[in-house]
Amino acid sequence: MTRGARFSPRQEVDFVVIGSGAAGGVIAKELATRGFDVVVLEQGPYLREHEFKHDELGYLFNQEIMGPPQEHPQTFRRTEAEEAQLWGPPSPLIYARVVGGSSVHFTGNYWRFREIDFVERSRLGPIAGTGFADWPLTYDELEPYYTQVEWEIGVSGAPGPFDPPRSRPFPVPPLPVKSSGVLFERGARKLGLHPQPAPMAILSQPHNERSPCVHCGFCTLFACEVGAKSSSLSTVIPIAVATGRCEVRPLSTVYRLVTDATGRVTEVAYWDENGTEHAQLAKAVVLCANGAETARLLLMSESTRFPHGLANSSGLVGKYLMANGLSFAWGVFEHPLNEHKSQQVTRIVLDFYDTDPARGFYGGGGMDARFLTFPILFGLQDGVPPGGPTWGAEYKRTLRETYTHMMQVVGHTTSLPLQSNNVTLDPTVKDVWGRPALRLTYKDHPDDMAMMRFFQEKALEILDAAGATKAWPVPLQETSLVAHMLGTCRMGDDPRTSVVDRYHRAHDVSNLFICDGSSFVTSGRGQPTMTIQALAYRAAEHIGRSARRGEI
Amino acid sequence: MSDKTATRREFLGSSGALMGSAWVAFHLPAIRAAAAHARNALARGVTSFEVLTAEEAAELDAIAMQILPTDDTPGAHEAGVVHFMDRALGTFAYQLLSGIREGLEDLHGRIATHSAVARRFHDLDDDEQKTLLREIEKTPFFGGVRFLTVAGMFADPSYGGNRDRVGWTLIGFDGHFAHQPPFGYYDRAYAAGREGGPP
Repeated sequence: MTRGARFSPRQEVDFVVIGSGAAGGVIAKELATRGFDVVVLEQGPYLREHEFKHDELGYLFNQEIMGPPQEHPQTFRRTEAEEAQLWGPPSPLIYARVVGGSSVHFTGNYWRFREIDFVERSRLGPIAGTGFADWPLTYDELEPYYTQVEWEIGVSGAPGPFDPPRSRPFPVPPLPVKSSGVLFERGARKLGLHPQPAPMAILSQPHNERSPCVHCGFCTLFACEVGAKSSSLSTVIPIAVATGRCEVRPLSTVYRLVTDATGRVTEVAYWDENGTEHAQLAKAVVLCANGAETARLLLMSESTRFPHGLANSSGLVGKYLMANGLSFAWGVFEHPLNEHKSQQVTRIVLDFYDTDPARGFYGGGGMDARFLTFPILFGLQDGVPPGGPTWGAEYKRTLRETYTHMMQVVGHTTSLPLQSNNVTLDPTVKDVWGRPALRLTYKDHPDDMAMMRFFQEKALEILDAAGATKAWPVPLQETSLVAHMLGTCRMGDDPRTSVVDRYHRAHDVSNLFICDGSSFVTSGRGQPTMTIQALAYRAAEHIGRSARRGEI
Repeated sequence: MSDKTATRREFLGSSGALMGSAWVAFHLPAIRAAAAHARNALARGVTSFEVLTAEEAAELDAIAMQILPTDDTPGAHEAGVVHFMDRALGTFAYQLLSGIREGLEDLHGRIATHSAVARRFHDLDDDEQKTLLREIEKTPFFGGVRFLTVAGMFADPSYGGNRDRVGWTLIGFDGHFAHQPPFGYYDRAYAAGREGGPP
């Protein structure tokens, strides 16, 4: 495979895209196919599908494609009153450091947002102490781009009873239902709910010259060795590279966006794999490094002109972080499910999507049936019911009897935007490059906790109705592990209360665009990547048009 | 940073973090080296220990056999968990070694209160071993040995444990990385027109 075009760092390119994940991959492909010269700077290596492994010890425990915590330490605290402590493994903010970014190791749940997600503040009114706000765009504006994601990226699915309007059917049908999906459907129907096939960014059939899923079972936190998972690595990046106008430069760790006297970005400073400093000249920059790394880079790019970090006149860079709530329940069934086979999720329930004032708290979500564990993790914790033995003959018997007979129901829920939840630069801890470590400050809003509890109770009801011989909740905990890094450079029309405008241009820097989970205004219902990519397609269209008109 | 490192150790020693194994600190290049090392050692038929003394290995083997005992199916001993431990402690889990040695020393100190004659854990009878482990099951030492035992039982065999995939076989994980539906009992029934599936 080719790395495509090659540019000298001293050659001014049209665009530098920082990050090659869900957003960066789409932006790079869209800009390169529109005829622009693009350099993608990615801190991780350029691994190809055949290099990926089913190695649980390496991937989950050593964070092999996420980056080992010794090299990339992070600190965590609940509130600003505390001193943050080194945290993990696992690192509190988890994301993949490879070409393709976290789309390489995601589960692939591709729910569209609904109309309500964009206008919920108007419908419900303000929520005191939060940054709850409407988006500066509507579902209708984003719909064509959702469809584009489904067809170009490749999403398997079928329409559901609560779907917002769609302009085209799914390109390929749902993946084969697993026993967890069948049981989840059984339980949910008994309770009068409306289970539906899960839309997944994993191919059920050949599509766009890519092959379908072989049902290896290693999706979440692993990488697909046949390219059936619709990661940026397997979808848009090869197209971007094939234009001959896009260079993907791996192992390039950005540490500063350099601005000139007029406040425009002129170059992007980074280290190559040997630690040699370079700076890529660019007419414009699109920052797509994820909601944590994007904020860190802006905060690190402070200058006399931008004393609180680049594009941060609002003071909101890094703030309003939303993680999405998670709640888990396990169930054991009479006959074998063999859930370790095939991809993680085949059925979902979206009956509790909307906020219901009768519940007495804000929020909504969705739930799915899955089996998110692997043999070591199962032996260490997931195969051990609460209060059960953790060693000895009975422990061994439990593991032996339950691995093939277990499933999970997982709740995915809203997080309210709070300024007190944020990523900042740790004042003392440095990463292997000497950059300030990411410091996470996070404490769930009481409504977010209430929502998780609500969903966990529903999960147990469904497992019970499905006929589980035994079911138990995983004790609810406040969030200390964040895979969805949303809201840290929120979009909006008012530069005082947002970081980027409705087309992802930084209010403060005319040739800087920021597009990834950081752009979110509200958290959605727990599956953000579909919306990140729809936003990326939409942003790229406007960025390309602005560039053509000389408006950047 | 040093004071934070100390705090981190305390945290890792006491917390039931998500992975359950957070006591172990990993190191990326070393873990790759560990796998290569284990493969080479297996290929050469090496069965001796490189980090552990014979006595340490016998003690850890005995503890691992209490955690995942041999009954009608193979346990930690047959999986070669102690060989996984030897390689882990010499490579990616090297930071655990001193804690393991201190833990074994402490264990030997306790043995005197359980047996008039035995000096080593593997000399104790089964009941005495169980009683002693129950005494220390909340300690970081036991947590570390349990982590290494479970990892050695269920990790990819290239790391030197899970020999002949006995760990995977125990739980019903076939180690095949490609499957075709039906996957289980209920989706088979669904496909046959039961369970609400298409007729």
